[in-house]
Amino acid sequence: MEPLKPEIKENLLAIRPEADPADLEEYERLLAERFATDPDRAAAPESKELRDSQSSEERLAELFHRLFVPQPISKS
Amino acid sequence: MPTKTIRVGDTTKPDPFTVAIIANPYLEAPWNSGTFVPDPITTNQPAFDSCVNYIVASLFGGLAGQAERLLGDLAIAPKVRVLSVFDPGVPSGDQNSLVAQDGVSNLLVPRRDNFKPFLAQHGVEADVAYAVSLSQSHTRASAWFTTDDDAGPGNNFTLDGKTFSHRHRNITPGTIAIHSSATSMTAVHEFGHALSSYSNGAVLDLYVDSKLGLNNKRGRPIPASFATYDGVVMASDPIRDSLGYPVTWQSYHCELITPAFPALMDNYWMAPGGIPEHCQHDRITRQFLMDRVRAKISR
Repeated sequence: MEPLKPEIKENLLAIRPEADPADLEEYERLLAERFATDPDRAAAPESKELRDSQSSEERLAELFHRLFVPQPISKS
Repeated sequence: MPTKTIRVGDTTKPDPFTVAIIANPYLEAPWNSGTFVPDPITTNQPAFDSCVNYIVASLFGGLAGQAERLLGDLAIAPKVRVLSVFDPGVPSGDQNSLVAQDGVSNLLVPRRDNFKPFLAQHGVEADVAYAVSLSQSHTRASAWFTTDDDAGPGNNFTLDGKTFSHRHRNITPGTIAIHSSATSMTAVHEFGHALSSYSNGAVLDLYVDSKLGLNNKRGRPIPASFATYDGVVMASDPIRDSLGYPVTWQSYHCELITPAFPALMDNYWMAPGGIPEHCQHDRITRQFLMDRVRAKISR
């Protein structure tokens, strides 16, 4: 997986000050791990790889939402 | 003809080591949705041809200032066949979609199971295949490793006392999805992943705290020796020169060939002076990839 250019990381964190660098680190790690998991094994029903892959994808969606999707301003 | 020979490779063999570069006919958008749209690359052959030239130049060490020669090794270069496929006339549908747009990132994802049958329709068998996209929204490249034919022949090697094999053939080739605007070391970085193997040595990304792989180990303190590859002890990189290991990491890497620059599987965009072309593979990755190519060339 192509690494992120440092300026893209910096821009993201500048645009979204609420974005946690640790979230971005986890997001990048999970994306990279996706490709390191044998997709044939991850396709086998009831395999550990399938369960791990499903749980990683759920976490990725959560992190993507947190890092990249603008959040509505909450009313107090 | 949709298939073009860029480099003839070893003409004494019926199936020389082959890299295929394909214009992706249809994008799945988003990934796993079953929705397919024409990839704009199919109406822009100049963009495809330019990307083919870039990929070939980078794989053979031909970019300006490029330090990593890889397939440009004089004993290897003449043996490598490179083919391109530009076939905008194929019908829409799942089987002619080689690239998907990831739903949770701007990654282009290779739809790996479709590469072999797509290439077979064009009379091509590949060891590593790139699919080039001109997606309007997704520009970041990714790759799946090769699924080796572990029932077939190969050249054995040892890693930390265990025996593995540089297999001559694959069940699924190494597959890469790349944007037509890709530059610098991206094509070579992805080739490093794609040429590696799920069962005989995985070349991992070194810019995250990765799991165990051929080029990545975990633990602290970092031992002096990284691995013993085919009887040769290779040292660890104790400081991840020029970048440094984050304190939270457990990963550590093999010694660098050029300590002043990040390894090619690391974040080459962070090369000092902003020159990624000066980056080379670390010692074990270089040896492994070269041995793997030599094994496939020998089949």
